[in-house]
Amino acid sequence: MSLMPKRVKYRKQQRGKMKGNATRGNYVAYGDYGLQALETVWLSGRQIEAGRIAAQHFLRRAGKLYIRVFPDKPISKKPLETRMGTGKADVDFWAARVKPGTMLFEIAGVGEDVAKQALARIAYKMPVRCRLVGRRVAV
Amino acid sequence: MAKNVPVIEAEPRDRIGTRYSKRLRQAGRLPAVIYGHGTQPTSVSLDAKSIISAVKHGTHVIELRVGGSSETCLVKELQYGWMGDDVIHVDLTRVNLEETVRVSVALTFIGQPEASKRPGAVLTHDVQQLEVECKVRDIPEGIRIDMSQMEGDVMTVAQVKMPAGVIAVTDPHYAVVRVVTVTEEAEGEAAATTAAAEPEVLTAKKEAGAEGAAAEKK
Repeated sequence: MSLMPKRVKYRKQQRGKMKGNATRGNYVAYGDYGLQALETVWLSGRQIEAGRIAAQHFLRRAGKLYIRVFPDKPISKKPLETRMGTGKADVDFWAARVKPGTMLFEIAGVGEDVAKQALARIAYKMPVRCRLVGRRVAV
Repeated sequence: MAKNVPVIEAEPRDRIGTRYSKRLRQAGRLPAVIYGHGTQPTSVSLDAKSIISAVKHGTHVIELRVGGSSETCLVKELQYGWMGDDVIHVDLTRVNLEETVRVSVALTFIGQPEASKRPGAVLTHDVQQLEVECKVRDIPEGIRIDMSQMEGDVMTVAQVKMPAGVIAVTDPHYAVVRVVTVTEEAEGEAAATTAAAEPEVLTAKKEAGAEGAAAEKK
C-alpha cells in the first residue's frame, strides 16, 4: 500500500503549477548524504515506496533512511473509454510535488560507499534525474 | 582555534549588485561583505577556492587583507545557490580574538559504542553540529566524540567532552548519539498503511448536511 494522508480537508484538488526550483527542503537536513531531484515531477506514493524498499533491502538494518517528501496531493484520472464531462474523476493516486533541488531521501549512519550504492538504487526507481549530495559545512 | 589563521586576500568591490556578483563568480571569486564593530559595511570579493576550502576544513576565523590593511574576521553566514550546495556569498564580521561569540562547530564521531554491537542495533547521529560559546581564539575546528566511551544507549550534549574554554549552548539533555534497536520496521509500516485505504475527508459531513438542508427547503 502506498503512502497517503490520513485525513484531508477536500477530496480533490486542482492541478496547480510547478514553476521554478525548490527553495525549501533543498539541503541535507537529517542524514549524512541525500538524493536530490534535478527535474520537476509529481512523485507518486508508490514510487516513493519503491525507493524506500529498494534502499532498505540493500541496507538491511544498517543506517537510517529518511524520506523527505510526502504525497499529499490527490491526482484524479478518468477511466478509459469515458466521454468527457460528468464532473471531475475519482482520485487515482497521491503525489508529492517535486521541483529541481528537492531532497527526496537521506541516509545516516553508514559510510559514503554504502550510502552511495543505496541512493543509486533509489535513483533507479525515481522517474527523474537525481544526484547525490553531502551535508553542508557548519559555520 | 586553528593554530594558523588563514590569510586571505580581498579586493574591495566598487560595483555591487546581481550582474557584477555573477561576473565575479564566473571569474573564480566570491562576493562577500564585512560588517560589525560599529563601522560601515564593506563589500569585498575573495578567492572562491581558498575561502571555501578553509571553511570546509572547519575554519571560522580568517585574517583578511583588504588593500593595505588587515582585519580579523569571523565567517558569520554562507549563502547558497539554487541547488542548495554551492556557496554564492559570504558574510564576515569583524572580531577581536578576546571577544566571546556563538558559533556552530562540526562534530566528528570516532569509535563504536558497545550497545551498537547488539543484533538489530542501529547507531544514529541526531546532531551533526553543536552550537557553542567561546572566545574567538578558542573556537575549535571540530569536536571529536569518542563513542567507545559511551555508557547506555544515549549520549547527551552534557556528556560531550568539550575543549577548554568552550561551552555548549545547545540544551544539555539533547541527544547527540543514540543506539536504536530496529524491529521489523517494514512489516510494521505495511500494516499501518493498509489500515487506511482512503483518507478521511474533513468536509464530507458538512457537505452532506448542506445537501440535506437544501433538500428540506425544496
